[in-house]
Amino acid sequence: MVKKWLMKTPQGLLGIINILALILFIFYGENIETNIIVSIVVFMGIVYVSNFILSKVSKGDNYIFLITCMLLSIGIIMIYRINPARGIKQIALFGVGIALFFATYFIIKKVKNWHKYTNVYLGVSLALYLGTLLFGTSIGGAKNWINIGGLGFQPSEVIKILFVFFIASYYSNVGKYKKKFKEKTSLIFMAISYSFMGFLFLQKEIGTAVLLFLVFNVLFYVYEENRKLIGLNFIGAIVMAVVGYMLFGHVRIRVDIWLDPWKDIAGRGYQIAQSLFAIGTGGLFGTGIGLGYPDFIPEVHTDFIFSAICEEMGLFTGIGVIMLFMIMVYRGIKIALEQDNLFYRILALGITATIGFQAFIILGGVINMIPLTGITLPFISYGGSSLISGFICLAILQVASEELDIEEGEDEDESRVQKNN
Amino acid sequence: MNLESKRIIRVLVFISALFISLILYLSYFQLFKAEKILENPFNKRNFIGQEKILRGKIVDRNGTVLAYSDKQDDKQVRHYPKGSLYGHVIGYSYREYGKSALESTYNDELLDLKESNPIDELKDILKSGKEKFGNDLTLTIDNELQKKAYDLLKGNKGSIVMMNPSTGEVYAMVSNPAFNPATLREDWTDLVENEDSYLLNRSTMGLYAPGSIFKVITATAALEDPKVDKTFNCQGSTTILGYTLNDYGKEAHGNLNLEEALVKSCNVSFGKMGVEIGKDNLRSMAERYMLNKEIPFDLQVAKSRFSKEKMDNAELAATAIGQGKTLVTPLNMAMVASSIANDGQMVKPILVKEVKDHNGDVIKKNTTKTLATTSSPEISNKITDMMIEVVNRGTGTKARISNVDVAGKTGTAENETDKAHAWFIGFAPAKNPKVAVAVVLENNGSTGGTAAAPIARNLMVKALNTLE
Repeated sequence: MVKKWLMKTPQGLLGIINILALILFIFYGENIETNIIVSIVVFMGIVYVSNFILSKVSKGDNYIFLITCMLLSIGIIMIYRINPARGIKQIALFGVGIALFFATYFIIKKVKNWHKYTNVYLGVSLALYLGTLLFGTSIGGAKNWINIGGLGFQPSEVIKILFVFFIASYYSNVGKYKKKFKEKTSLIFMAISYSFMGFLFLQKEIGTAVLLFLVFNVLFYVYEENRKLIGLNFIGAIVMAVVGYMLFGHVRIRVDIWLDPWKDIAGRGYQIAQSLFAIGTGGLFGTGIGLGYPDFIPEVHTDFIFSAICEEMGLFTGIGVIMLFMIMVYRGIKIALEQDNLFYRILALGITATIGFQAFIILGGVINMIPLTGITLPFISYGGSSLISGFICLAILQVASEELDIEEGEDEDESRVQKNN
Repeated sequence: MNLESKRIIRVLVFISALFISLILYLSYFQLFKAEKILENPFNKRNFIGQEKILRGKIVDRNGTVLAYSDKQDDKQVRHYPKGSLYGHVIGYSYREYGKSALESTYNDELLDLKESNPIDELKDILKSGKEKFGNDLTLTIDNELQKKAYDLLKGNKGSIVMMNPSTGEVYAMVSNPAFNPATLREDWTDLVENEDSYLLNRSTMGLYAPGSIFKVITATAALEDPKVDKTFNCQGSTTILGYTLNDYGKEAHGNLNLEEALVKSCNVSFGKMGVEIGKDNLRSMAERYMLNKEIPFDLQVAKSRFSKEKMDNAELAATAIGQGKTLVTPLNMAMVASSIANDGQMVKPILVKEVKDHNGDVIKKNTTKTLATTSSPEISNKITDMMIEVVNRGTGTKARISNVDVAGKTGTAENETDKAHAWFIGFAPAKNPKVAVAVVLENNGSTGGTAAAPIARNLMVKALNTLE
């Protein structure tokens, strides 16, 4: 019975991984820390209980949550190995994330009119931008943190979710907007979308700006009726990329480092070179957890966590992580295809694209396949904002995976929408 | 399937393709690129095990300590007590800047790494946690002579190499501008950005036009070929294919034989000789003296160059007097002098005399090897006699030492700047040579006889008094 549970169910496999990690950590330090034993046992407990609760309350997808837990397990093992204090904090953040996951899940389900708040999404996003400009503190050159009561958070993590909500609500109400703005509707929509990216770009959050750009283009491609605009949009993107390269030094530097990280290895290319050394050291099977030197990479616990995984767990685990993201995207797309409600369909597609592209941007960056832009690896990197926004995305996807009993937005009467405006 | 679903599936295909490209790139990187990248000196992993091994010390031939390591709070620190005196010979070993010169070429010996894959061995050392000691190097350098050479070169760019002509042991090797490996951290940016190439070891890597010192090579070729006419009539200048060959100050030397031509460094005579010897014979003679050849040495050495392309007679004449396209390293020219001193046998230069383990037992010894036979003893003796006359009454009189016969040849090499390089090569005592020397003063502007010869003389005096 136990054997069957361990070997045959995804929860069982997850359990095995975490038990192995626990055993490893018990022997890792010179003196056994009771903290880590308690933390990992609590972590496993939360994973198991929340899977159990989820299977009872949600009739939707059972896999995306499991994949997330697997990614989190790998992340926490690595973060703990690099810095035990951070590892334990990440487990605590995981607890907060799970709580927020369930809270978001029930709120999303409870409120029926998400597709009507287009202007709210815009307003909150704008407020967050302005808030960052006025009250933001800068970490690592980009002014992108807000401190509230000692707790720092990254507004861009919230903005990327709001952006998906904005697009989903726009396309589920597009008929109504077309009546109002006539043929200019699509252009206005594009202008607003690009100003999202522009603001992020000005805050030097190039990674998030590129992410929003990719998500926007995917949704634009699937739902825009004016197909000519898609080609135009594509040409515009190339022009913007070229202009961005010519005008902005920090864009040029990133491209130059990407082309030849070895040229200025002592300075600008240092971090990416250290990342490549770490990945190269790992070989196919890795040095073994605790036997490598991932701490040679600056910021290894956040953006460069994948390099640490490759160093100590090897190429195969690296490929495994990439494939986990691929399966997640596959499940997300499946959710989008099976959802009957347009708003939730777009939401599912948008959230899936956000997770998928975000993973691609940073994975491609740390292996120097594409220029590096600072952004976290979803569910694996250390950090509260990233983890919490990840769980909110997951909750939205979870809701979208269920059969929902909501009428389509297009048929709503105009008066209520006007009131919201 | 409706249009929307089709498009959504295309999105899935697109994102999956991105992920698959990540997997392919990562695998490609891991399988084909990683290994090479890991050798980069910026990969701090390669240094991890090394820090557990106490790096061996480096001493001169008399036991004077030139570099050593000690532990300070669990960390190893490398000391270079002689500062810039040995910057180019010993080099440096730093975590962040990597290694150079002997610290690089003898790294495995200094750390006592035996296996073919030192990185694996370092890992084992790291795991065992035992304290390990590296090996010590004893150099052939004599610290007194090195110091003297360094002081003599002060104020000039260039290089001095002094060696034992029969054993190949290098007694002194200095290059200016020099750098101090002990203060590398503070000086790094300045050193790297400076146009004077502070980090370049001019003795082994500097390539200079040889000028008239090349005439000893031309003379060897002429002596080997009985058909070459060895009597000349110099009118101060001669014109070959429109190229006018002038003698220094356009002085007409009149009728002279080969010895007189060398003593007076007569360009007209040697230009004519070069044309008679022919391009192929001159080149093969130059290559016997190791131009165009890899010189095996304990440090990296640049190949001296003798043109392999076609030459007309004008260029051939220029090449015969050491102008043309020929470029040589100071080490190579010290070896040329040595081979003439050593009956036409050119020996391999040696910088590291022996490697001793931590207990002081010799585990490796560099012994004298003959690299090439440049001429017969008769011919080398003839050239020696001529070179003695160069110093006694020719262009090299400033190298004269009382009671000791000195053989030498001066050179004033024109180059792309308007200031000539001043050269001197020679050896002493001429009939029983103990030391051979090459001095080059880069863009010095005056002649080899005035600028380089006295430096060589002073160093040889010191050497003959110091060496046993």
